[in-house]
Amino acid sequence: MFRRWLGGLALAISVSIAPVWANENHDVYSDDSESALETYNRAMFDFNTGFNHYVLMPVAEFYRDVTSPFVRRRLRNLFDNLQEPVSAGNYLLQAEPKQSGVSLSRFVINSTLGLLGMFDVADAWGLKQEQTNFDDTFAKWCIPDGPFIVLPFIGPSTPRAATSMALGFVMDPVYWSTTNDANVHDKVTYGLAAVYAVVIMEENMDLLNDLEKNSVDFYATMKAAYMQNRKNKGCFNDGAQSSAASYDFDFGIDETTDY
Amino acid sequence: MKKYIITTFCALLLNISAAQAAVDAAKAQQFVENVTRDGIENIINANVSQKEKDERFAKLFNSALDMNFIGQFVLGRYWRTATPAQREAFIKAYREMNVKTWSKRFDEFKGRDFKFLGTTPSNSANQVFVNSEVPMPEGQPAKVVWRVKQDGNNFKIVDIIIENVSLAITARNEYSAYIKKAPNGVDDLIKDLQQKAGK
Repeated sequence: MFRRWLGGLALAISVSIAPVWANENHDVYSDDSESALETYNRAMFDFNTGFNHYVLMPVAEFYRDVTSPFVRRRLRNLFDNLQEPVSAGNYLLQAEPKQSGVSLSRFVINSTLGLLGMFDVADAWGLKQEQTNFDDTFAKWCIPDGPFIVLPFIGPSTPRAATSMALGFVMDPVYWSTTNDANVHDKVTYGLAAVYAVVIMEENMDLLNDLEKNSVDFYATMKAAYMQNRKNKGCFNDGAQSSAASYDFDFGIDETTDY
Repeated sequence: MKKYIITTFCALLLNISAAQAAVDAAKAQQFVENVTRDGIENIINANVSQKEKDERFAKLFNSALDMNFIGQFVLGRYWRTATPAQREAFIKAYREMNVKTWSKRFDEFKGRDFKFLGTTPSNSANQVFVNSEVPMPEGQPAKVVWRVKQDGNNFKIVDIIIENVSLAITARNEYSAYIKKAPNGVDDLIKDLQQKAGK
């Protein structure tokens, strides 16, 4: 249910912002902040920040207190393992059959010998974890990312990222293996999504708090960092382009006074 | 036709090497390697008080990074309209805030070794990218790219790009957004940065 709701939400947002998207100059380097989307984004960002501070972070804090790093690692591995079929499918869509085979083998080996994925047995056999997702696939297909958009609870996203996430949820093995009992399906998907949110928050909250403390405009910082991080995924049309940042760092300064 | 392609290719190659001649890529990488080694050996692994560590870090930070250059880029178009006093105050506050922030976070690099992976030419004059990666506790290593500027025999870091995220561009976006909304523009920014550096 939760995941279906997410999918619907992503779709609704992609459709409703499509006209904005067409007009907006979504260059990450430009600092044009006068737009309807920006007003919405900032409001939603504030809401999410509040939610994180008052709900998600305290829960993540508790989770950290009652578990050891070893236990947290096992849980994280479990979630990572559930992503392997998504990776396997997407590697196929990216014309990388070999990598697809690696992901699939990892899923089979770790789900059985690795106790539902809690232990990464396949890694020791030379099958290294290299995850991919629908977003990487769409980037490969040269589908544009679209503007920065803040989703309720989920946080920073873009139309392409949101669509990819919704597709990823549906392809998750837990999702399709529980569909025949609606009751179980809802509980399992709701529960897993909530636990996953806590696991991810536990890993990231120190960095998030640090960033917030050191920034004068947390929203602008997050937007710039998020959008840059998504660049250079490499599209089939790019040819052999360098992946290094290529922004212009000569800014015509006439004076070079030392301070 | 084939000949034409080869000629163009050679011309291109010559062009590229001419543009790169201003930067000694190997030395630039050596410079960054020295900076990171200095940081790990003489600060993180050194058996001295935290205060001494902070002082050493500030010294290394100020000698390795060209904060004048970075600060001017970060302030963007507001640099041009700022008064000399504002410029000076901004660079000072920005420098102190960064030293403070990174000094605290620096210990996270304990026990990790940068692996250097060669250089990539840059479109900007006298600059080159030094590529490296840092092993993470779990999963794949993090990609760290250093933008290095050469001035004669002198090298300075002018940007650090972690997993595609440029610290200079991020700060530039952040500060432009802030200044646009702040009633007293750059002055408010300087005051906020000073406060963050003081904490």
